[in-house]
Amino acid sequence: MMPLRRFQMHQPKNVAEAAEMLAHYGEKGRLYAGGTELLLAMKHDLLRYEHLVDVKTVPGLDKIEAKNSSLHIGGTVTHRAIENSPLVRERLPVMAEMARQIANVRVRATGTLGGNICFAEPHSDPATLLLALGAKARVQGRNGERTLAMNEILVGAYETALAADEILTAIEIPLLAKSQRAAYLKFQVHERPTLSLALVLDVDASGNAITKARAVVGSVSLTPCRSDKADALLVGPRDKVEKQLADAAQVLAEAADPGDDLEGSAEYKRHLTGVFLRRAFAQALSGAPR
Amino acid sequence: MSAEKKTDFHVVNHSIPRRDGRVKVTGKAPYVADLKLIGMAYAKVLRSPYAHAKIVSIDTLRAASRPGVYCVITGNDLEGLNPYYGHAVKDHPLLAIGKVRYAGEPVAAVVAIDERTAFEALEFIDVKYEELKAVFTPEEALAKDAPLLHEKQFEAGALRGFEGEVTAGKGTNICQQHRIQWGDVEEAFKKAAAIVEGEYYFPMAYAYAMEPYVAIADVTDQGVTVYSSAQHPFMVRHDLKSIFNLPVSKVRLIVPFVGGGYGSKSYTKIEPLVAACSWKAKRPVKLQLTVEEAMLTTRSDDAYTWMRTAVDAKGKIIARQAKIYMNTGAYAENSPLVVEKSTNRCVGPYAIPNVLIENCSLYTNTVPASSYRGFGCAQVTLPGESQIDELAAKIGKDPYEFRLANVAKPGEEFFPKMRPFDGTLKEDLETAAKAIGWKNPLPKGHGRSIACSGSDAGAYPLTSTAVRVHADGSVTIMTGSTELGQGSHTVLPQIAAEELGVPFDNVNVVSSDTAITPYDRSTGASRTTTLMGSAVLEASREAIQQMVVMAADVLKVKVEEIQVVRGGVRCGEAQLNWSEVITKFYALPDGEVIGRSYIRKSGKFSQLPVFWEAACTGVEVSVDQETGKITMEKLVTVGDVGLAINPALAEGQDIGAATMGMGIGLFEELVYEGSQLVNGSILDYRLPRFSDLPKEVELHLVQNQDGVGPYGAKGGGEASLNSMAANIANAVDRAVGVRIRQAPLTPERVWRALKEKELQNSKVQKFKE
Repeated sequence: MMPLRRFQMHQPKNVAEAAEMLAHYGEKGRLYAGGTELLLAMKHDLLRYEHLVDVKTVPGLDKIEAKNSSLHIGGTVTHRAIENSPLVRERLPVMAEMARQIANVRVRATGTLGGNICFAEPHSDPATLLLALGAKARVQGRNGERTLAMNEILVGAYETALAADEILTAIEIPLLAKSQRAAYLKFQVHERPTLSLALVLDVDASGNAITKARAVVGSVSLTPCRSDKADALLVGPRDKVEKQLADAAQVLAEAADPGDDLEGSAEYKRHLTGVFLRRAFAQALSGAPR
Repeated sequence: MSAEKKTDFHVVNHSIPRRDGRVKVTGKAPYVADLKLIGMAYAKVLRSPYAHAKIVSIDTLRAASRPGVYCVITGNDLEGLNPYYGHAVKDHPLLAIGKVRYAGEPVAAVVAIDERTAFEALEFIDVKYEELKAVFTPEEALAKDAPLLHEKQFEAGALRGFEGEVTAGKGTNICQQHRIQWGDVEEAFKKAAAIVEGEYYFPMAYAYAMEPYVAIADVTDQGVTVYSSAQHPFMVRHDLKSIFNLPVSKVRLIVPFVGGGYGSKSYTKIEPLVAACSWKAKRPVKLQLTVEEAMLTTRSDDAYTWMRTAVDAKGKIIARQAKIYMNTGAYAENSPLVVEKSTNRCVGPYAIPNVLIENCSLYTNTVPASSYRGFGCAQVTLPGESQIDELAAKIGKDPYEFRLANVAKPGEEFFPKMRPFDGTLKEDLETAAKAIGWKNPLPKGHGRSIACSGSDAGAYPLTSTAVRVHADGSVTIMTGSTELGQGSHTVLPQIAAEELGVPFDNVNVVSSDTAITPYDRSTGASRTTTLMGSAVLEASREAIQQMVVMAADVLKVKVEEIQVVRGGVRCGEAQLNWSEVITKFYALPDGEVIGRSYIRKSGKFSQLPVFWEAACTGVEVSVDQETGKITMEKLVTVGDVGLAINPALAEGQDIGAATMGMGIGLFEELVYEGSQLVNGSILDYRLPRFSDLPKEVELHLVQNQDGVGPYGAKGGGEASLNSMAANIANAVDRAVGVRIRQAPLTPERVWRALKEKELQNSKVQKFKE
């Protein structure tokens, strides 16, 4: 880590002003919401910006609210705030449980949910779970607001569908229904996960059959990945699905198409997809955190 | 052989809280990074992107003319200096001259008004390179058509630390070769009842210290003054003296607090470069490396070892043979000594009648390797202690019993021409076995191992000190030993306080300033307690002798009539403490007495090693067979330290070393992809964390006062590292039945081994069907 190059910090009063600033500075500017990834990359001289637009002080972006049947988490809410929020813990425990597992307490205290999604680091814990939960990102630019699904906003490694002037203002996460079970697990040796796996299951009243499933494998490829075909294999009577877990994992891994890197070989990550899909399935149905 | 045995200690053998603890944890301890000299400038380094390339040209004009930049220095600016340094081989230019030999090598430095200005100027230096073919492994370096890293003949360093020849600079990529041999290995293997044979790999590792390299140099007409995080200030002084062609008296190394060393801070590192910056900029210059830059400065030698070990029908080890290829990187640094040491340490602490070990280190286009805690012992203890278990399994013996039957015995001359063994490994092993619960039943997927190591430690005995007793009875120890966190600033005053009979709190330490403190060769090889401790003990006694003469003068009696008591003297009814002796002698309540000691390779230190550093570690691991992940369930360390001057500090060293060894066993490994180090940051290089520590830890010391140091003490602090990688490999084998001969045992490697085993089993099953 080198000394940071000189840059100017700007603190807009509201989202509209932030959008104007981002538009004005173009490629020379970047939104700054926590800095745990951005400043690290700048210190390693991998990224250079002359202007940082600090949205941490913009009022209203740091709220956690339950609205209708979803949870709204503001873009500048820290991972630590999610982990400790009584609301999240009560209404969507799997989200708090995931937040608790992010990096270390120093990162969690500074890093924000919006920053995490917008930096689009491929080993993101939140991105994996949010895709499984069917979360949406609310974004605002100079020309108004729009809503993007997780698979729409995350388009590649370090790459989002956001326009230069757009700011992620909140993540909306549908709360789990009584019939739904969720689990988030990861395998990690280094600083970032080797593999993350999120699973949401709809079970019937008897608890013996899965009516709908959504499995996501993250950290193994450029963006978190799910597969309709894999999810289809996770639907049916529990004992039948248990027998199909290996096939579902294979299909999911095929869709993710992991690569070799410092975290491990593609083959190993394919294998781990199977191990953790099975573990997540068991955990989701065990009644552990939703 | 051993020193006098004494048991009624007042200060020694007590766990007195460490001297530097409070100032360090409250952030008040000044490190070099905290120091600022008047008019000081800051340097930043431009590094080579290529592993091996000719430097065609360097244009520094654009960088040098930027606002705030004082100067830019390159290999073309070193006329007037002797720019090559190295205590073993003078092969290392302080900046690349004419060519670069590894990606990350310093090519130029900018000196500027502040660090950021220096850093921002770097990209305005235009360097043209002509890429050359590069080699990255010993195999590539040995190939017939391999490019030569060093074309020139080198001057051998006078302070290389061993008596053999230096091999480097003879027109090949060989850096150092060493061989030990006794008995008849071929004959022994023919007669053997059982043999095990295998190839092993110990990785490149980084001896992570929280404080990266940092130095401030001030070069003037009066001489060279350098503040540095160096472990061995006198060794660095020697290199600087020759670079600047100055008398020793004009070179001053000052080492304030150091943020850890673990081998990485030994010998000369960035000091010549910083001094050259100051020389050119004509002002004091500070250079502070980042951790990532420190990882481009030094690492451990990685080692490829082929080894075989034989046993007779009675279960006695009769022969060991090994061939080792070490990858020493672009410059020799301390690797020639690491080669010598790892060759010796291949024998382990075992009495083996037939031995042949051949070792060869190669220059490659990678980060230069140097000291790493234990000097080559960990590299060869992975194969050595793995084979003890493999052999025990082969002949159906319990590996613990097998070790008991084969370890060197106290006083045994198990290594020809070396000091007879001065430890009690049988007792150490028994202590470890009891602590780890060797015979207790284990859950499925769990495994235990106990392993040991013995190193020829202590380096070269050349140490001096002065112990100053002041008129108020307080004491100042002048020592060239550096406090790296190992506790020397606590242990040394304990010894002086014990001898002089003064309160521990009244003994102060002044250390590691070559202009002030007497010469000490180095702070490494676990030598300080034994050698500097002995020097402090002798100097304290010499001060007492002087004060006895002074007391006789004061009391107007014969010297023979003076009797030494704790903290002073007695003569009949008259009793004087040291303060009274000195005050009365000078007739003024001030002044001092200086006790001195010079230790050299003679007397009880005439035979090398200074001592055998022995220790056992025991581990219990569990293996997740689906992911291959190893969990450390329990760790036991047994330090065979003779006498612990400060037991808490000795135990602290043991758990530190064992944790470092565990890092290598589980996940530490520098990875090269092509010419580039790809995990050269602490984000990507996986260090042990608190959460990795074993669930249970037991630390034991065996204290038989059998060392050559003060009160029978000998060194510790490295040995618990050495056996850890082998221990983990052995425990994994016992847990899940796979033998892994490469460290670290990453989850994926364990998983692959398990998969391979399953495949073999199914083949066998099919064959049976």
